[in-house]
Amino acid sequence: MSQSLSSECTPLKKEYDSCFNSWFEGYLEPAVANSKSPEVRAAYSKQKADEFNLKCGKIWEQYRTCVQVQQAVKEKGLDKLLQQAREENPLVDPIPPLPTQPSSK
Amino acid sequence: MHFFSQSFHYDHPWTHVVIGMWHKYPNSKCTHVVSIDTIDRTVDPVTGIIRTERLMGCKQKAPIWIVKLFGGSEDAFVREISFVDPATQNVTITSVNLSLSQFATCYEQIRYTPLPSHQTLFTQTAEIQARMALWRSAADGLEKWLVQRFEQNAHLGKLGFTDVLRNLWEERHRAHSSS
Repeated sequence: MSQSLSSECTPLKKEYDSCFNSWFEGYLEPAVANSKSPEVRAAYSKQKADEFNLKCGKIWEQYRTCVQVQQAVKEKGLDKLLQQAREENPLVDPIPPLPTQPSSK
Repeated sequence: MHFFSQSFHYDHPWTHVVIGMWHKYPNSKCTHVVSIDTIDRTVDPVTGIIRTERLMGCKQKAPIWIVKLFGGSEDAFVREISFVDPATQNVTITSVNLSLSQFATCYEQIRYTPLPSHQTLFTQTAEIQARMALWRSAADGLEKWLVQRFEQNAHLGKLGFTDVLRNLWEERHRAHSSS
């Protein structure tokens, strides 16, 4: 597993990544299977989103504080660059699939 | 503006590739990626789409003239935003450089989509563009500064030579009349 940009945050980063990966590996295949109707998909998504927050929310908060609140990002002058990049290109909406993409269902 | 694109397939099903993408680094072929931090992540409780924003730290030796001209360093950071949509089996990853972004942008987009027979299609495009507006304003600024300096120097040149001429000929006149 890769390092954090600030070495003192690496243990928290690794713990968070492990938490996400183990949640994600249980999430993905059933999520594909559960996307046949919007209702089924929403029910599954809600359940899994809650589960993710419950499982990884605490370690996320610690990791986030270490990297983003306690200097690490600021020290390297990244906070301003990041803010500028977000303003220029928020990228908050998913990029739609290509029209040529074979439909999965 | 320069474009780059390529596509190929991996002999693994889409879900395996998408699980694997979180394990891509570190790997022995890509030692330039030295750090990865997740800085934002949401799981949409309706669509199931996962949005992840990450900060990647890279170490790559830049040519010396680039470092000198732009004051860059070995450390470069990239912002990466990915969307994993299980319903459409579509993953998109967009990356934009943060370092040197005032001079040029490298905008990369990657997609992972399923192919029949348990394969996954990888497509990658990149646009690399210097910020011409900025170059132009910098060039304008440089020109203005040069013009000002030139005008100043021309003015001082006139004053200086006026003095020189006056002193020279006054001295000569004095010498002449006293001899």
